[in-house]
Amino acid sequence: MADDIGPSSRDKIVVSGLRHFFDSAGGSVQATDRVDLAIRAGEFVTLVGPSGCGKTTLLKALAGFIRPTEGTILCDGAPVRGPGRERGVVFQELAILPWRTVRRNIGHGLEIARRPRAEREATVARLIELTGLAGFEDRYPHELSGGMRQRVAVARTWAADPDVILMDEPFAAVDAMTRLTLQEELVRLCAATAKTVFFITHSVDEAVFLTDRVLVMTRRPGRIKAVIDVPGRASGRDWESFKVDAAMQAIVEQVLRLVREERGAATPAAAAGAPA
Amino acid sequence: MTTTAAAPPPAGVVPSSPLRKGGVLRPLRSFRILLPFAALIAVWWAIWASSEFSPQVLVSPVAVWHAFLHLVSYGVLAEYASTSLTMIGFAALLSLVVGVPIGFAVGVNRYAAHALEGFLRFLQGISGIAWLPLAIIWFGFTHTTTLVIVVYTLIVPIVFNTMIGVRAIPEPYMLALRSLGASRLRMVKDVYLPGALPSIVVGLRLGMGYGWRALIAAEMLVRKGGLGDLIFGARTFGQIDRIITGMIVIGCLYVVVDRLIVQPIENLTVARWGVLRQ
Repeated sequence: MADDIGPSSRDKIVVSGLRHFFDSAGGSVQATDRVDLAIRAGEFVTLVGPSGCGKTTLLKALAGFIRPTEGTILCDGAPVRGPGRERGVVFQELAILPWRTVRRNIGHGLEIARRPRAEREATVARLIELTGLAGFEDRYPHELSGGMRQRVAVARTWAADPDVILMDEPFAAVDAMTRLTLQEELVRLCAATAKTVFFITHSVDEAVFLTDRVLVMTRRPGRIKAVIDVPGRASGRDWESFKVDAAMQAIVEQVLRLVREERGAATPAAAAGAPA
Repeated sequence: MTTTAAAPPPAGVVPSSPLRKGGVLRPLRSFRILLPFAALIAVWWAIWASSEFSPQVLVSPVAVWHAFLHLVSYGVLAEYASTSLTMIGFAALLSLVVGVPIGFAVGVNRYAAHALEGFLRFLQGISGIAWLPLAIIWFGFTHTTTLVIVVYTLIVPIVFNTMIGVRAIPEPYMLALRSLGASRLRMVKDVYLPGALPSIVVGLRLGMGYGWRALIAAEMLVRKGGLGDLIFGARTFGQIDRIITGMIVIGCLYVVVDRLIVQPIENLTVARWGVLRQ
């Protein structure tokens, strides 16, 4: 396991010894317990784990929204001290601005970066094409379906051209059929753009389908319990073939078992770590 | 409007909006709005006709109509009304310019918001009119006194609602913009201002209602023009027709100001963004 997650020169992000506590009504709660991980440049990594295991805490720390109590996070060798343009985030909740049209939401990052208008328009047009939003450029978010809104959120993050993209269960709120489409679109988008992506989910299928590597987290206080390689992302994936691919389904089974161990595990350990 | 757009509508088709409600039923709708007024006038007329009232106590709607025409034709009404309208307009502008930044400063700071919430409610309890004695002592019987009272009345709901609006902006909006590299100024321009706008409009609307009442009251005491001065002056000479005319104009102007100024702002921004959902 040390080989899989140990730091190397190709690493985009290196997390070491990350522990985080947050205050709650019942006192201090430990969200994560000594998380170590390294993500290589251009890699797609998914993180699964039971709800409340500290997945989002880890992502927020990577994004720079929170400062971990202990441990370090390096991005390209430099410590993360706050949010930055080189690390884009796609949220689970609706985070695009309701008072901006689709076009202006997607171009927002470039507008903030003061890029020339022509470049902005070209990038926005390309992403509208890639995310299937053509024809909706001048609509406001409230006129779109949930799936389309998340497409806008994804496109906005991609348009700003960050090196690293952090995604926190971005498709959790859309209906099941739309989710399948969005996942396939994301696979294609990543193939077309070669970004380093860190993706949180609680769906094992999703975690395996999208990724190069699945990280499985223990229940709270979370740490990385296992790392499973998923080969062949470069050659593209779609749900029809994924579902009948025996090798893939074996990986799904394996990850599912690892996650369920955490869910079904006896309570004494849980009681020690977290208040009811 | 909860449209789930499957495809954009063909060009030229205007999507229905709350503005365009009614349509064929429009005449019926305005009839419904006028009905209570008609009832009020009928009751008033009936009471007046039921016994012999001295014109110093009650006059008929017809007499009021004549007083209205008289006041209009001599330009008196226009003068008094424009004094009031100028004052409320100026006060509203001043309150927005001062109140919105204060609301922001308080709204972005959780501790300040907590500390000031009770205080603002306390101030809301002390009506502008209750400040009149002090204001008259400090500023005399001047327009300044009126302005101070009206701005005070208007600014409290504007500050309060701006603060609430800022605090109600969903956190992901802020986080997303920060990770896009937005500066503080950018955040104010792109997130805080548009995000708080629906609430600011609510504050302005409430403030205009309270402020208009405070204005009339202040004018009655200050006696330097305005519709409050008109009706209070008419009392000295027992001109019941003028008093009632003035009252009706006060009510009508408020409706006009609200419908022609405040509501269009709401429709232009808030309704279009779908933030307001009916």
